[in-house]
Amino acid sequence: MSVDNDTKRTEDALKHALRRQDAPDGFADRVLARVAAHNSTEAPRGYHDSWWQLFTRPAVRWATAAALAAALVAGGLHYRQVQFEKAQAERAQGEAAKQRLMLALRIASSKLQLARSKVNEINADQTENHEEKE
Amino acid sequence: MRMKLRWLGLVLLLASPRLGRAQDIKLPADVEKLSAKAKETVEVTMDGPMLRWASKFLSAEDPEEAKCAKLVANLKGIYVRSFEFDKEGEYSSVDIDALRAQLHSPVWSRVVGVRSEHDGDNVDVFFKLEDDKMSGIVIIAAEAKELTFVNIVGPLEVDQLADLGGEFGIPKLNPKTLSKEPKGDRR
Repeated sequence: MSVDNDTKRTEDALKHALRRQDAPDGFADRVLARVAAHNSTEAPRGYHDSWWQLFTRPAVRWATAAALAAALVAGGLHYRQVQFEKAQAERAQGEAAKQRLMLALRIASSKLQLARSKVNEINADQTENHEEKE
Repeated sequence: MRMKLRWLGLVLLLASPRLGRAQDIKLPADVEKLSAKAKETVEVTMDGPMLRWASKFLSAEDPEEAKCAKLVANLKGIYVRSFEFDKEGEYSSVDIDALRAQLHSPVWSRVVGVRSEHDGDNVDVFFKLEDDKMSGIVIIAAEAKELTFVNIVGPLEVDQLADLGGEFGIPKLNPKTLSKEPKGDRR
């Protein structure tokens, strides 16, 4: 008899525990709100993925490679132009220095010639005077 | 600390290459100021490195430039000041004497000294001799309307320098063609 009573109590406890119960008020709204919030935090990651996915397209890859090549060529041409202008400026400075050097030598030479001519004049006069005396 | 820095600065200044420049003749300040009065001024200051750099641009194919390159190959400096005036008496003989006074030393020999009372042209040529070798030349040409100072430092062949005159369009000297008109006005 006591076994029957125990069984009955257990059944009652199980029935009580597993009884149908309605969800509390606003439960469904809260769940929907959480789901919406979860989706919104994942949005940037999806955007990032899509930006990189651009390069999976062959056209975009070719365009990028072409742009990089054009930038390299433009950079190289610019560097060459700068080097050319630098060499030209250096050459112009060198030519100016050469002209100054030639001018300095010309002046030095002409003054040496002047000294030489003065000495020759004196020598010629002395010779002439000597010949006149004789 | 500040005093130490000043001493360090002085030492560095003394050790700087500028002070070790080849030019050992100083132009009097009044001579440097003559450019204000001059109609034309030529000022050439070329130290050793500048000379070497400039001579790189001398063409070996051009005979005149090749001669210049050979002439300046071992030079340490070329310094030229030339002033041309509109009228006479623009510079003082005191300045020229101060310049000449610097050359009164055993290493310098005056090889030419011409004083002409006729046309007022005074020309001095000094050679610097070191170990019986020529290591420099100074030319001071004081003419009526022109004053020229040339200082060439380093070994050079004077004949080569004088010969450049013909190359630069200045006729080479020939004693037979020299004028014999001015007489008795030189000392």
